[in-house]
Amino acid sequence: MATTIEQAPYFLERKEKNLLVVKDPPKFDLESYIANYEGRTRLKRLEHIGMYSSYLAVDALRMAIAEAKHGADENIYISLTELLHSISPKDTMATPDVEWAEKTFKANKLRQEQLESELKAYKNNLIKESIRMGNEDLGHFYYNIGDLGNAFKSYFRMREHCTSAKHLTDMTMRLTFVAIAQRNWLGAQSHATKVDAQVAKNEERGKLEPVINACMGLSHMCCNSFRDAARDFLNVSPTFITADAVAGIKFQKEVLTGNDIAVYGGLCALASMDRTELQERVLSDTDFRQFLELEPHIRRAISAFCSSKYSTCLQILEEYRADYLLDIYLGPAVTDIYHRIRTKSIVQYFKPFSCVSLDEMSKKFQITGEGYAIEDELTSMITAGILDARIDLVERLLISPATNARHVVHSDALKMAQSYDHTLRLRLTRLNMQNAGMEVRSPKADMEKNIDRGEGFGGTLRRLGQGLGGFS
Amino acid sequence: MADSLSICFSFEPTSPNIKSNLDLDRHIRSHVAAVSHIPSSAFLKNIDTPQDFLEILNPSVNSIPYAYTLLHRIQTHDWPKGPKSVPDTFRPGGGSWGKLVEFLESFDPVQMRYIGDVWRRLVEYCDRVARAMGTPGIAISPVRSAMLQLDPSTGTFTSNHLLFMRTCLEAGSYTAALPILDNYIYNLPQNIAKALIEIEGSVPCAETSTSSDFITTRSGHSEKITLADLHEYYMLGAIAYIGARKFKQALLFLEHILITPSANIANGIMWEAYKKWVILGCLVNGAPSATPKTANSSAMKQLRAASKAYDALTEAFQMHGPKLRAQAEVGVQTWAEDGNTGLVSELVDHQMRLAVIKLKDTYSAIPLTHVAKFLGFSMQEAEAYIRNLVARGYLNASLDHTPGPNGSLVLRFYTDPTEGPLAKSEKEQYLELLQQTAQTNKLAEQVKAADYRLSLNKDYLEHVRRLNKKAAASAAAGDAMDVTWDDAEPEEDIMGDLIM
Repeated sequence: MATTIEQAPYFLERKEKNLLVVKDPPKFDLESYIANYEGRTRLKRLEHIGMYSSYLAVDALRMAIAEAKHGADENIYISLTELLHSISPKDTMATPDVEWAEKTFKANKLRQEQLESELKAYKNNLIKESIRMGNEDLGHFYYNIGDLGNAFKSYFRMREHCTSAKHLTDMTMRLTFVAIAQRNWLGAQSHATKVDAQVAKNEERGKLEPVINACMGLSHMCCNSFRDAARDFLNVSPTFITADAVAGIKFQKEVLTGNDIAVYGGLCALASMDRTELQERVLSDTDFRQFLELEPHIRRAISAFCSSKYSTCLQILEEYRADYLLDIYLGPAVTDIYHRIRTKSIVQYFKPFSCVSLDEMSKKFQITGEGYAIEDELTSMITAGILDARIDLVERLLISPATNARHVVHSDALKMAQSYDHTLRLRLTRLNMQNAGMEVRSPKADMEKNIDRGEGFGGTLRRLGQGLGGFS
Repeated sequence: MADSLSICFSFEPTSPNIKSNLDLDRHIRSHVAAVSHIPSSAFLKNIDTPQDFLEILNPSVNSIPYAYTLLHRIQTHDWPKGPKSVPDTFRPGGGSWGKLVEFLESFDPVQMRYIGDVWRRLVEYCDRVARAMGTPGIAISPVRSAMLQLDPSTGTFTSNHLLFMRTCLEAGSYTAALPILDNYIYNLPQNIAKALIEIEGSVPCAETSTSSDFITTRSGHSEKITLADLHEYYMLGAIAYIGARKFKQALLFLEHILITPSANIANGIMWEAYKKWVILGCLVNGAPSATPKTANSSAMKQLRAASKAYDALTEAFQMHGPKLRAQAEVGVQTWAEDGNTGLVSELVDHQMRLAVIKLKDTYSAIPLTHVAKFLGFSMQEAEAYIRNLVARGYLNASLDHTPGPNGSLVLRFYTDPTEGPLAKSEKEQYLELLQQTAQTNKLAEQVKAADYRLSLNKDYLEHVRRLNKKAAASAAAGDAMDVTWDDAEPEEDIMGDLIM
C-alpha cells in the first residue's frame, strides 16, 4: 500500500518540486501519538503528517477528517478531504459531505451574528465585564471555526475592558496561544514576554512560568534561534506536565506536551551548547531530567555526545529523523538542527587529533552512506570557518594546522606598529597642510581670493585684520 | 683673478679657528657675501684651462664658490628650451656638464644650506638640460643625490621633489624614484620669523636631525609650494609605486591626498586618487580599505558618489565570479579615460590569484589536477601559473612530485609560517621589529619638531595669550564672587587683537 501512495500524484508533484516527502515509517504509533493532544492542534498535526508522510498519510487524514466533522470548522474539513482525494482518490472519506459543510457554515453564520448582537447589546449597556466576556466568547467562537485572525482581534479587544490583573494575564495568554496557532512567532514571543512582565512573584507565577517558558522556547526554536530556545526549554519546570489549564487552555495538551519539551529542548541544547554545558545544564539538571525520562533516546544521544561517542549520538538521532520531520513545529527546523549537531560533532571529534585520515572520518560520520563525500563537507566547513583544519587530498588526511604563537604575536605586533605609524604620518601630513594654510575649497572662493597659494586662510585673515587695523 | 681666488679659498670648513656653530655661521655668511660680490667676469675666465676655477676649486670643500662659478657659467646662456639651445659644454658628455654632475654628487651640504637659491638653480638646470636633450633619465641620479646630500631625510617638501618625480615618470624609471618616495614628507617649508631664530640661537649650520630648520620659505631651496604641487607629488609618487608594483605603498601614499583638509569639497586630484585608491585597496587587502579617519567625510561622500563604476568593480571583485571580468569589459572606456586600464586588468588577474591563495586555508596538499580543474587550465598551464605565483612570493607553497613510478605533481602549502619559501625566522622578525622601532622613534622626533614649530605659530601664540587672559580673569573673579560688572575692564577691545 505504501508504494502506491508514494506514487500518488500529490507526492510525485512534491518530489518533482524537490519538497520534503518522508518515506520512512516513523517509530511512533499514530493513535497513541495523537492521543496526547487535544483541540485544534490534533487536526493540525494530523494534517501535517498527512502532507509529509507517504507512509501514514491516509491513516492520518482519515482520522483528521473524522475528527474535523465533529468540530465546527468546515474549511479545514474541506481542505482535508481535498488532500486525501489527491493522495487516494478512491477513498470513501475523500468525497466531502457537502451537506454537512453547508449546514455547519450556516450554523456558524447564525452563531456569529448572535454573538455579535449580544456584544452590541453589552456595549450599549456599558458594562465592562459583559463587554469583555462578549469579546471573549466571540474570540472562542472564531478560534473554533478556524478564523484565527478574527480570534486574535477579538481577544485583543478585551484589553480595554479588563478590570483585574487576572483578566489581563488570561487575555495575554490567549493571545499567545492564538499567535502560536497562527505561527506568528514574534507575536507569540512578545505576548509571552508581556505575561512574564505582568505576573508578580506569587503563586500565580509558579503556575504560569512553565507555560511561558515553553511558549518562548517554542517560538525561539521556530525562529531558528536554538540557543535561546534551549535556554527557555531547560527552564521549564516539570510541573508543566501536570499543571492546570491556564486561561482555559491546557497548554500541555493543546500546544506541546512534556515529551515535546524533552525532544525540542534536548535537540536545541545539543545543537547550541558545548559538552560541559550539556553535562551541567541538561544531564545534571534535576528538573529537566524529568522531561528527559519521557524520551530516553534523547538522553542517550546527549550522553553519547558528552562522552565523545559522536557516531552513536548521530546514529540515534538519525533513527528518529522521520519522527521529528513529522512534528508540526520541529519538522521545518530538523534539518538545520541536525546539521549543526553534525558539524559540532565533527569539530569536537577532530579537536584532540593532529591528523586523521579521511576514510576514518567518513566511517565515523557517514553511517548512512548517503549525502556528499566527506571531503566536500569538510571543505565547506573549513571555508565557513567552523573547522580549523587543512585537508591533504594526496594522503587523504585531515590535518590540524601548525600554530606558532610566537610568530603570530611578532607579526601582529609588526602589523600594528606599521598601521599606527601610518596613521601618525597621515595626521602629521594633514597638520602640516593645515599649518601651511592648504585647504581644498570650492572653485568660486578659490578664484576670488586665490587662496590655494600657500598663505591660505590665515593669510587672508591677517590681511583682513590689517585692513581693519588701518581703518580704526 | 688672484684676489678672487684668495676669496674663494678664504673659507675652510675644517679650519681650527672655527670653534662653535655660531663661529661657523658667521664665517659662512661673510664668505657667501664675499663670493657673491666677485664679478662674474672672474668666474668666466680661463675656461677649459688648468687655471679654470672649476679645476682649481674642490667641489666638496669650496662648495660655495664652486656653485657660484657654475651659476655664472649657466647664466651666460639662455635657459634651454630645446636641444639646440643647450650649449655644447653643458650637453651630457660636455666638460661643464661633468663638473655640474660632479658637484651635485659631492658638495658640502652645510655650505649649501646658506645658498639655497643657487643650489636650486643648479639642480633645476641639470634637470632642464636632461629634458631639453630628450633624455630625462640622465638627470635622475644627480638630482637625487643632490637632494639626498642636502637633506638625507628628504622629509621637507621642496619644489625639487616634484621636479624629480616628473623627470622619473617621464623617463619611466619608477624604481629610481623609490629612495626619495620612501622618505616620509614630515614637513613643509615654513616661514620662521627672524626674531624667533635669533631668540633660539639656532643657526642653519647646526647639526640637526630634521631639515625643517634650514629649509624654510626663505632659504631658497624651494620655490613656493602650493597644495596643487603637493597633490601632484603624491599622485606621481603613487603612480611610480604602482609602476614598481609596490601596491601597498601606493595605497598608503594616496591616502595622503585623501586626508587633505577641505571645506567639505573634493578636487580633481582627490577624485583621481580615490579611484586608484579603491582598486589598490582590493589588490592589497582583498577588499576596499576603510577611509582614513582624518579624511573629510563629506568630501569622501562626494568622491564615492562620483566613482560608482569603481564601487561596482570592487563589489564584483569580492563576489568571486565571472562578474568582475564582465564589469571590467563593460567599463573599458571609463578605465581608459581615467588611465586605470592597467590597474583594472591587474585586479582581474588578482581575483584568480586570490582564489588560488585561498586554497591554503582549506588544503595542506592538493593534487595539481584538482587545481587545474579549479582554474580551468590544462596541466601545463596550471603548473606554469602556480610556479609563477610561488616564485613571485604570492604562495608559501611548493610543487612536489609524489613518490612512486607514476608520481603526479602536488601543490603543498606550508601551514607553519616558519617553513617554506616565504618563511621568516624569528631572528628576521626581530630585526624587522627593531627596524620598525627605529622608524617610529624617528617619526616621534619629527612629530616633536613639528609640534615645536606649531607652538611658535602666530595663531597659536594668540590663542595661548587669550587663554591666559581668560584664566587670569576667571581667577580674579573667583576670589570674591564679584557680581558687579562696572568696575571690571571697561570694554573688551575687539580691534586690539587684530592690530599687530
